[in-house]
Amino acid sequence: MTDTSQNLHERMNIQEVIQTINHMQADGIIDAYAIGGAVGATFHLEPVSTLDVDIFVSFRTGPGSLLISPRPIYDYLTAQGCTAEGKYLIIAGWPVQFLPPTGPLAEEALAKAVVHDVAGVPARVFTAEYLAAIALQTGRAKDKARLLQFIESGILDATTFQDILTRHALAERWAQFQRQFLSDTP
Amino acid sequence: MTADLQTILESKRRYRQHLSARPIAEKLRMLDALRERALLLRPESSSIVREEPTPYRAGNPRP
Repeated sequence: MTDTSQNLHERMNIQEVIQTINHMQADGIIDAYAIGGAVGATFHLEPVSTLDVDIFVSFRTGPGSLLISPRPIYDYLTAQGCTAEGKYLIIAGWPVQFLPPTGPLAEEALAKAVVHDVAGVPARVFTAEYLAAIALQTGRAKDKARLLQFIESGILDATTFQDILTRHALAERWAQFQRQFLSDTP
Repeated sequence: MTADLQTILESKRRYRQHLSARPIAEKLRMLDALRERALLLRPESSSIVREEPTPYRAGNPRP
């Protein structure tokens, strides 16, 4: 291993990211959180290469304020030596993006996220059905690829997934996806 | 080794299943290693990504 790769390896530790977020929650900086994106998908599928970590959080409002602000997260993490780069905070070598739930689907996904055990460290993660629905809603090529991974893995609960799609007006988009990718005849 | 596409695809599918079933801590270490390799291939001096952030939507999609 070269010096550079050794340094990178020493710095990079996604389990430490999760521990840091758990501490942040225990210290009252955030309420609920859930891991989404490719890292969230990795809890259910084979490892999915990614360059960042998406953490959905319910931000706390400041005293006497109705505005939600990521400022407490920024202050807390930079006080611990983390650095900010653009939209990301660098934790244990990983760029981490803290996202408020951006709509009813993400809000529900955050509320219904489940805790996984990562070698003794609790990690709250979106369920496979919500990750698949969010991938369908987001709709980029790599999101469609991830959705196909979920379908091919056979881990989605069909009833739960269909219920989410129906309640979040994604049924037509799902039908279109099925015609495009899951039908033998175009 | 085989040139039969179906055999190759089935082998890949089995390998993906094998990876999916690994303990989550091991899969997360794989993510660390994958990102490390990605950074080593990048010419930028910064560790920050150049990946477009996911455009999570605020509402329901238009039909």
